[in-house]
Amino acid sequence: MPPTKNPDRQARVLLFSMLREEIGRSELIVDVETPISVRELLGRLSTSYPPIRKAGGSIRVAVNLEYVRGDHAVKAGDEVALITPVSGG
Amino acid sequence: MVEETTGTTWVRIQEGPLSVEEASKFLRVESAGAVNIFLGITRRWTRGRETVLLQYECYEAMALAEMVRLLEDASVRWPIERSCLLHRVGEVPAREISVIVGVSTAHRDAAYAASRFLIDELKTHVPIWKKERYADGESVWVEGSRPGNTTQT
Repeated sequence: MPPTKNPDRQARVLLFSMLREEIGRSELIVDVETPISVRELLGRLSTSYPPIRKAGGSIRVAVNLEYVRGDHAVKAGDEVALITPVSGG
Repeated sequence: MVEETTGTTWVRIQEGPLSVEEASKFLRVESAGAVNIFLGITRRWTRGRETVLLQYECYEAMALAEMVRLLEDASVRWPIERSCLLHRVGEVPAREISVIVGVSTAHRDAAYAASRFLIDELKTHVPIWKKERYADGESVWVEGSRPGNTTQT
């Protein structure tokens, strides 16, 4: 039986444009039982998803609608977004 | 469509054509002598290749928040009477408007400077992406700007 989802221990990671296309998902769910840094989260995701690893340092991370740095702590309930280089306008 | 407006600022993200007239009406207040409206439109030719349309995608909630922050930032730097950022998402065919940057100020120096600032910053930081569809059917994500200079690690 698969483990039940527990939103109290999870964060959502939103994907857009190229990442979304290459991975085939617009959202990933990550377990965040204890807060982890953005840096560590990216490390985990890079291991699981080659397109994220390939994008490397070009990814900026946003948490709850704001850009954050590598040492920012991600906790359960956060909305994380992987922002690849933008091209609006 | 999402939108946020104060008395003096207006941000909107929508599908479907943008209205320059609507932006102009919002900007033209009595205290302003200068109105600067910048239009970003879909260009048909790039390096010999024909573009049929640009397809825009956005992280809507954050794009809206970033655009609101941008207008607030500009209002601190320049004496702006009214300002607006209107962005279209979805398919934008050649010659159609993808973004309207509008600023009105008492005198034109500030209007020119603020307008330039707003479009430059929007193109650098706001989480919107475009894909270029060419006449031969191929679609390619446009190479963008990495927001900010701070490194992740």
